Amino acid sequence: MIHMLTWFSTTFILINFCRGSNLEHDGWVNIKLEHCLLPSDSPIFTDRGNITIQSLRLGQAIVNQNSLTQEERVQLKEMAATNQFYQIRSTVVSNDGTENVFLSTIKACMLAEAQLDDRLSVSLDYTGRVIGITLLIASKSTCEGAVVPLSKLKEFTTSVYVRHPEVGPVPDTASYIQKMEREREAKERGEVKDNRSILAKYWMYIVPVVILLMVSSMANPEAAANGGGASR
Amino acid sequence: MANFRSIIATISITIISISLSNALYEDQVGKFDWKRSFIGKVKHARFDNKRLIVTSHENVVASLSLKNDQILWRQVMENPQEQQPLHLHVDKDVITVSGNRNNHYVRGWDSPTGSLLWEWVIATEKSADSFWLVKDDTLVHIAPFPGSHMEVTHYNAKTGEVRWKTRKIPETWVGGTNKCAIANPYFVCVSNGQLFWFNVVNSDANTHRSQSVQTLIGESDPGNLHLLEFEGPKPAVLLVRNNNAKVVEVDEETAKALPYSLISNAIYVENAIYQLEANLENPDKLIKVKSLNLLTGQEGLSVEVDYPLGLGGPYIVAGQCRGGVCDLLLSSTDNALTLVRLPEGKVIWTREEALSNIVSVEFFELPVSELDASIEKEFAIASNDVVSMFSHRISTQTRQLYNLVLSGQLLGNSGLVRDEFGLHRIIVVATNVGKLFGIDTLTGSIVWTYRLPNVKPFKDSAMMLLVQRTARYAPLPAQCVLLAEDANTGAGVSFTFDPISGMSQRGIERLGYKIKQAFLLPHEDDDHVKPIVVVASDNAVHVYPDEGRSVVQKHSDTTFLYMLDGTIMRGYKIKANFALTQVWEVNLGPSELVAVSTRPINERVHSQGRVLPDRSVYYKYVNPNLVALATLHDDPIHKHVLSVYLIDGVTGLVLYSASHKKAKGPVHLVHSENWLVYSFFNERFRRNEIVAAELYEGHIQSNSTAFSSFGVSQLPHIQTQSYITPANPVSMTVTLTERGITNKFLLVGMSSGSVVEIPWMLLQPRFADIACGPEESCIPYMPEIPLPAEAIINYNQTLSRIRRIEVAPAKLESTSHVLVHGLDLFYTRVAPSKTFDLLKEDFDHKLIVLVLSGLIIASYVTKYLASKKTLRQAWK
Repeated sequence: MIHMLTWFSTTFILINFCRGSNLEHDGWVNIKLEHCLLPSDSPIFTDRGNITIQSLRLGQAIVNQNSLTQEERVQLKEMAATNQFYQIRSTVVSNDGTENVFLSTIKACMLAEAQLDDRLSVSLDYTGRVIGITLLIASKSTCEGAVVPLSKLKEFTTSVYVRHPEVGPVPDTASYIQKMEREREAKERGEVKDNRSILAKYWMYIVPVVILLMVSSMANPEAAANGGGASR
Repeated sequence: MANFRSIIATISITIISISLSNALYEDQVGKFDWKRSFIGKVKHARFDNKRLIVTSHENVVASLSLKNDQILWRQVMENPQEQQPLHLHVDKDVITVSGNRNNHYVRGWDSPTGSLLWEWVIATEKSADSFWLVKDDTLVHIAPFPGSHMEVTHYNAKTGEVRWKTRKIPETWVGGTNKCAIANPYFVCVSNGQLFWFNVVNSDANTHRSQSVQTLIGESDPGNLHLLEFEGPKPAVLLVRNNNAKVVEVDEETAKALPYSLISNAIYVENAIYQLEANLENPDKLIKVKSLNLLTGQEGLSVEVDYPLGLGGPYIVAGQCRGGVCDLLLSSTDNALTLVRLPEGKVIWTREEALSNIVSVEFFELPVSELDASIEKEFAIASNDVVSMFSHRISTQTRQLYNLVLSGQLLGNSGLVRDEFGLHRIIVVATNVGKLFGIDTLTGSIVWTYRLPNVKPFKDSAMMLLVQRTARYAPLPAQCVLLAEDANTGAGVSFTFDPISGMSQRGIERLGYKIKQAFLLPHEDDDHVKPIVVVASDNAVHVYPDEGRSVVQKHSDTTFLYMLDGTIMRGYKIKANFALTQVWEVNLGPSELVAVSTRPINERVHSQGRVLPDRSVYYKYVNPNLVALATLHDDPIHKHVLSVYLIDGVTGLVLYSASHKKAKGPVHLVHSENWLVYSFFNERFRRNEIVAAELYEGHIQSNSTAFSSFGVSQLPHIQTQSYITPANPVSMTVTLTERGITNKFLLVGMSSGSVVEIPWMLLQPRFADIACGPEESCIPYMPEIPLPAEAIINYNQTLSRIRRIEVAPAKLESTSHVLVHGLDLFYTRVAPSKTFDLLKEDFDHKLIVLVLSGLIIASYVTKYLASKKTLRQAWK
């Protein structure tokens, strides 16, 4: 499990690294996180913490989250036991002053089983605007039913991943033309060398000969035997 | 070495591309495909001896035969959303004027062949309604500017040469379309209780004439008046007042109203006026044609018409009388076109023009035959005691024997039974006017129709056809639901019917709320009916049928849905108490949503991974909850930016997003298995591009038993590749087969009217670090997708204005059904991996039986001979 998690985070970082540079304008965002530990028809959100991403291009985040009180821990455990959904509300304030609210939901039992180790995916569009914030738990299955002691449900260890859009691919005409060019040149220079084995090259001549030999030897075995006798 | 490999590669590409495309032999044309052509709702029609010349709201000019419903020729003009036919004149040649308020195309067509004789354009800066008139070979264009003046221009109809340049005639009485009409050579308008007319053809006339409407119709209060064209022997118009029309004849001096009243839909044919009336006496023949003498208004013949029951209310478009036989062309509210012959009142033919605008399509399996059903019945009854089982067995088997002996008759009376390979199906289509059709896939004939009055598609011009139960559950009939909008109130409409027979038990149900979202639950109730969940505009959840509520309750934990509000996408979960709770939100910002695609519900993914040359498996990321979206964003630097997103519908996680700068629509998205294909126009290079993106989990499969969107162990790896298409795609879809073993073909409808199959193998992104060659059955990357003529599935039958391509799997794994609709309807079957599970048509059964029996006989003969020989040798 641990091995998988580290692998998971490295993939994430790798993706970050690859995508980190195609934003046109850099900017910062501040995300206010609230969560709901008492699910009802009209959920009440309580403060969970603050995340500041100083540079969207680099994707580095400063995470500042409250630790859960004893009461909250019991509530979370209760939610996990009854297979409820844990919901977060994130209010994003970006550098141009706009405010956007996003919702995200995960299974409470998964959060408990992961011992409050969660991941926050912040997706951007090509202008660097936040389009969605999703809470994730790195897990292969949904819930395994493991019992987690209350002491493990204290501090959130949240990793924030800022995800940029990829630059759409363009048809690779240049290398294709180069390839064709190379082939044409090679053809002109007459460098087309056949490096197959003799058998592969001339099988169409060898096979009939072999067949002919076989047929003729089978046609008169008597004659062959007689010939042998005459020499004696 | 490298060169040699490249040569092999080129050869293999040619071989692969030839073998991948399944071309058709000449004798196979029309064997399993059919095409129906349509013209749309008729706008103008003229009889021309033995043919009909019509223009339609689809901006089409066509000629129809009077004998049968054949189209003799059809010419498709500009996009009907922008341009409409405005005038039709049939003389020696056919002259049409079509266009919008600023640009007009004047075209001359050869009436027997439909070839274009001449064409010229009138472009005006000022936009106005226009009226047209053809006198001899002069085309007169009248552009009224209500309350101010009108502009009259004379052109040579053939060359477009201006005969009399634009005159501005200051007349304040001119009005718009309803208030004015042409009474060749006069332009007649009604304004302030006065009738005005002006000779627009004759050069001497410079002033208008006028007469008060009161003196014409003898009523003191003129009320709400409007004018309609009326082609009588003398210049005349129809003056309509409160659904009561009068013929007003005009000449140089005076106007004269004829002394009788008509309904507003009346036409003049050879000394008589024909109009339609409702026939209340005979319930079988609801429509009656009445003729009136033009001069006196005396009633002539009154004929009950054999009008087909399923059609909507008719009105007369045109008529012609020759030697005592009159033909009337009727158009109806459901766009059907009917030719009626008088005096018998016989319907010569009917064309269902509603099929030119299909909004939703579904393919249905046919029920099993009686013989098969009786076998099924035997197992349906749970075991009781031995005696009853025995008697049951005996009775069913006698019935089977009986059926077998008389099978010809039994199967003959209803041809709609399931065949072995599921190639015979019923296609149910919903059309824009709210008429449903059941179409047979084998012949293309209409099996049943059902007209829903006052129904229109949703805002995105689609209706929803949801399959609640297929014909698989033998005694229970198949069940399908159509969801649409009420044309007047905008509230939801639901219609439950049996797709095989077109029968409905409950008829149309008007729901008292607007539909915001609706979907079919993937779970069945006890009657094998999948309940539909409808979300009203106030987020209330309704379930149909009511018995389905328990199923929804049972699966409420795993039922998620999304709704799009502009570019804000919200995810919801249905709670056990039928309330919706929002679970996620994605805001795609100030842009325009241009395409949405989800995986086909009945799609199966057969192989879980791709085998790499080193024999390792690269697992596919197959997420059934993915939603693909495309938005176009106006950008000050890059003009338009196309963004493509893959969003998980349960968690709202943006799994992948890509942006293309300087890209323009139309964007077509196809999402299937673990891949996404989209096409767009690249403004920078001025070409169409297709991008393929494929999602992989990697070398480890995270969860092979059950997929959960919540358990994200790793993000998918994405491979992308881009291509150039030499043609302009207008519609795109992917083939579907029963078990998903067969290769996938992308079917792309082109603006040229062809539908091309492109193997997914050609588009599949190549791994950068893995060699691509024939050994790995990989086609080396080519930036331009070859579109060979053999890959056109509709061969030389051009399809006009392709709107969508619909695909359904056949029971045969290799084959899928394809229906292309637009102005034409084209059905065919495609086999992307060729028909590997079917013997060829020309397979020689006799020869193989002959050879086998010969071999068996020979083996016995030689056995006998051998034993004889050994016996003889033993005696030696």
